Amino acid sequence: MVKSPSFGGASEASARTPPQVVQPSPSLSTFFGDTAASHSLASDFFDSFTTSAFISVSNPGAGSPAPASPPPLAVPGTEGRPQPVAMRGPQAAAPPASPEPFAHIQAVFAGSDDPFATALSMSEMDRRNDAWLPGEATRGVLRAVATQQRGAVFVDKENLTMPGLRFDNIQGDAVKDLMLRFLGEKAAAKRQVLNADSVEQSFVGLKQLISCRNWRAAVDLCGRLLTAHGQGYGKSGLPTSHTTDSLQLWFVRLALLVKLGLFQNAEMEFEPFGNLDQPDLYYEYYPHVYPGRRGSMVPFSMRILHAELQQYLGNPQESLDRLHKVKTVCSKILANLEQGLAEDGGISSVTQEGRQASVRLWRSRLGRVMYSMANCLLLMKDYVLAVEAYHSVIKYYPEQEPQLLSGIGRISLQIGDIKTAEKYFQDVEKVTQKLDGLQGKIMVLMNSAFLHLGQNNFAEAHRFFTEILRMDPTNAVANNNAAVCLLYLGKLKDSLRQLEAMVQQDPRHYLHESVLFNLTTMYELESSRSMQKKQALLEAVAGKEGDSFNAQCLKLA
Amino acid sequence: MRLTKPTLFTNIPVTCEEKDLPGDLFNQLMRDDPSTVNGAEVLMLGEMLTLPQNFGNIFLGETFSSYISVHNDSNQVVKDILVKADLQTSSQRLNLSASNAAVAELKPDCCIDDVIHHEVKEIGTHILVCAVSYTTQAGEKMYFRKFFKFQVLKPLDVKTKFYNAETDEVFLEAQIQNMTTSPMFMEKVSLEPSIMYNVTELNSVSQAGECVSTFGSRAYLQPMDTRQYLYCLKPKNEFAEKAGIIKGVTVIGKLDIVWKTNLGERGRLQTSQLQRMAPGYGDVRLSLEAIPDTVNLEEPFHITCKITNCSERTMDLVLEMCNTNSIHWCGISGRQLGKLHPSSSLCLALTLLSSVQGLQSISGLRLTDTFLKRTYEYDDIAQVCVVSSAIKVES
Repeated sequence: MVKSPSFGGASEASARTPPQVVQPSPSLSTFFGDTAASHSLASDFFDSFTTSAFISVSNPGAGSPAPASPPPLAVPGTEGRPQPVAMRGPQAAAPPASPEPFAHIQAVFAGSDDPFATALSMSEMDRRNDAWLPGEATRGVLRAVATQQRGAVFVDKENLTMPGLRFDNIQGDAVKDLMLRFLGEKAAAKRQVLNADSVEQSFVGLKQLISCRNWRAAVDLCGRLLTAHGQGYGKSGLPTSHTTDSLQLWFVRLALLVKLGLFQNAEMEFEPFGNLDQPDLYYEYYPHVYPGRRGSMVPFSMRILHAELQQYLGNPQESLDRLHKVKTVCSKILANLEQGLAEDGGISSVTQEGRQASVRLWRSRLGRVMYSMANCLLLMKDYVLAVEAYHSVIKYYPEQEPQLLSGIGRISLQIGDIKTAEKYFQDVEKVTQKLDGLQGKIMVLMNSAFLHLGQNNFAEAHRFFTEILRMDPTNAVANNNAAVCLLYLGKLKDSLRQLEAMVQQDPRHYLHESVLFNLTTMYELESSRSMQKKQALLEAVAGKEGDSFNAQCLKLA
Repeated sequence: MRLTKPTLFTNIPVTCEEKDLPGDLFNQLMRDDPSTVNGAEVLMLGEMLTLPQNFGNIFLGETFSSYISVHNDSNQVVKDILVKADLQTSSQRLNLSASNAAVAELKPDCCIDDVIHHEVKEIGTHILVCAVSYTTQAGEKMYFRKFFKFQVLKPLDVKTKFYNAETDEVFLEAQIQNMTTSPMFMEKVSLEPSIMYNVTELNSVSQAGECVSTFGSRAYLQPMDTRQYLYCLKPKNEFAEKAGIIKGVTVIGKLDIVWKTNLGERGRLQTSQLQRMAPGYGDVRLSLEAIPDTVNLEEPFHITCKITNCSERTMDLVLEMCNTNSIHWCGISGRQLGKLHPSSSLCLALTLLSSVQGLQSISGLRLTDTFLKRTYEYDDIAQVCVVSSAIKVES
């Protein structure tokens, strides 16, 4: 579907085929040449979607344009409110300028008089990734936009997505707070974590914060970048526009809020996105910014997140309903592909390979939805349906069959149905016989240990967990579980010794909240003077863990 | 610390695709997380065991397990430590300690550990009393006690209902309701009959050689769910005669229930002896020994009745047969059956036919005791299905 070139033919650049650049969020940079020979107008105008730079320039509602030589990092010491600074990474050369859509349109079709060809060279990956089936009302709006040459299509404000940050700054560090309370200021001052100021204000910095588990800082950095895009604090409900990047930023922010357990905050900020089907979330809505491009800007994983969030808020039925809707669209798209049509049911213009790649993608997405549904049913304690759902998941992820069968066995143990658990564990043994390597054997041993737990035989369970440790000394689960068994056998001291050794041996991996929960529970059992030992744990945590650490497991509050 | 079974840690999976901003980061974070399942990180139910964080609930029939730890918080050695754990209920006091011997000495920062198990047999308030006596280094004898109170609740609600069949069989329907707060797997629900009866349980069927429960895939009971179990009781031969004249309350048997909850936490209960009020048969009881289910229209068929003298005196009985609209008796009405002594019975073969199709009720028998000049009426003794003779009935 291609827009007719209402923007004249005169182009400033010589004819040049756009380079095939595959980038994480590919977009109009495929229309440009190198920035070196650059039409700085064009590269300034559009978001340059490289991994390092983020220039929010496509949104007329954004803050004021940046000064000529922007600093690579935000000025340290600017706490709180992020400034609307235009950030850029090390690669782009020209200074950003304020957007003026129509004046620069000529540059888009640099060299190519034929928008049809340019549309065809649009990334295959984009098309299948972004494919989605909009609802009736949305389709109507998008059709109207497509048939309009210029000027705005009037869309009811209710159908527009107008998000904004709903809370300003959650840069808090629960661990540091605890340190201040229990270990004093000097100790607390020693705690060093990366925060939003200490990294590059870009996607690169964001990824750094995520990987070192400083998710609160990452949420804040997302907030700053979104503010630059004009969707900052207080901007909720104000007209705005969206890009691939801005939606990715929202996705990351919301995903991290969920990982941090801040479900209400996530729900508040998700709210303006409605059910993720509003017309201004589609590429077709921005024919001037994304000419010829079709599909939804909403990342698929954001749809999954949007559905799953409800079950963490206590509305699992709503989660299931949303997941069903996603499943329906995935199934329809797959059906279209299998009939030789394009994802949205139109005529397909792709190669056999392209179609197969698309089928693979959508099958894996369907599998992901089924997985979510199974997890939701488990959370709802509807064990019969959950087990059925996990069986369906095996069809989409056959390589996970032994793990899923083991999981179903564990579900049976949780209900108290030991016999059925045993049957499933036997099935796992059959399936893993064909696998080589340790993983299969460890799974079988783990299941045997759990079976003995179900039969009240803690001594045997301990033996099996210890056997796993012999084969894989770094297995945190076996280590933790063996220690737990020791407690049930009346050996508190031994159990404590095992857990403490585990935590000291490899704090990076083993300072996990479930292990620490067990450790602090046992400290409290051991002595009423458990405070000192818990504080020692706090110090260990302080040196290693990021700001996302769930400090409640230390039981210091 | 009460040692309920540990629970499995659940995690929150957050994923994204390669082309999203975080790329592989979210998946990498999940892989690094030790509490996710290796190779199936999206699976919420992990494998890490977490210790119980609170006392929870305890129900009648379950086993109360607890860790008892005595820790030397001081910096001195203490001697002659004796730890006693008792369970005090409203009716009794039980000693739970595994060993009653005193420990010679306890160094600083060491502890004496014990795990006690006790199957809870009463409902209501229980108090765990831990008493510790020891001698300090200075020679002072010290003693202290700690109390831990908890409530034992009722786990099941059992309702029973008896059905009397036309033969001597009695059917027992037991309705069991899960009154706890977690799902319950019923491992065994069996009826232990009293000496008079043989019991057949009707809660599983044989499918392809395997015994399959009638409850299908619903293997467990959610909180507040109810399930019905059915048993058939037949009086043993030596009691069969007497069963005909049992009056008043009889003891049928008791239900033995075994269940499991989280990770195999076991509970077991027996009901008290279930009692059944025998239906009153009056002085003379007429029961059926043999009767066909289905008969042809207007074709005579045979039934066998058993007449039992349930009274204390000998009877001299006369049998009269009265026809109804649909039932027509064949044979001689008004004949004498002879003397019938107390607690004895006689069998009688009778022939009849039906003139109306459908489910017909057999009525119209009259027994008169000539001694007392009393007539006993027997209507709606049994049902028979009458079909048109165009349909062949296997006899």
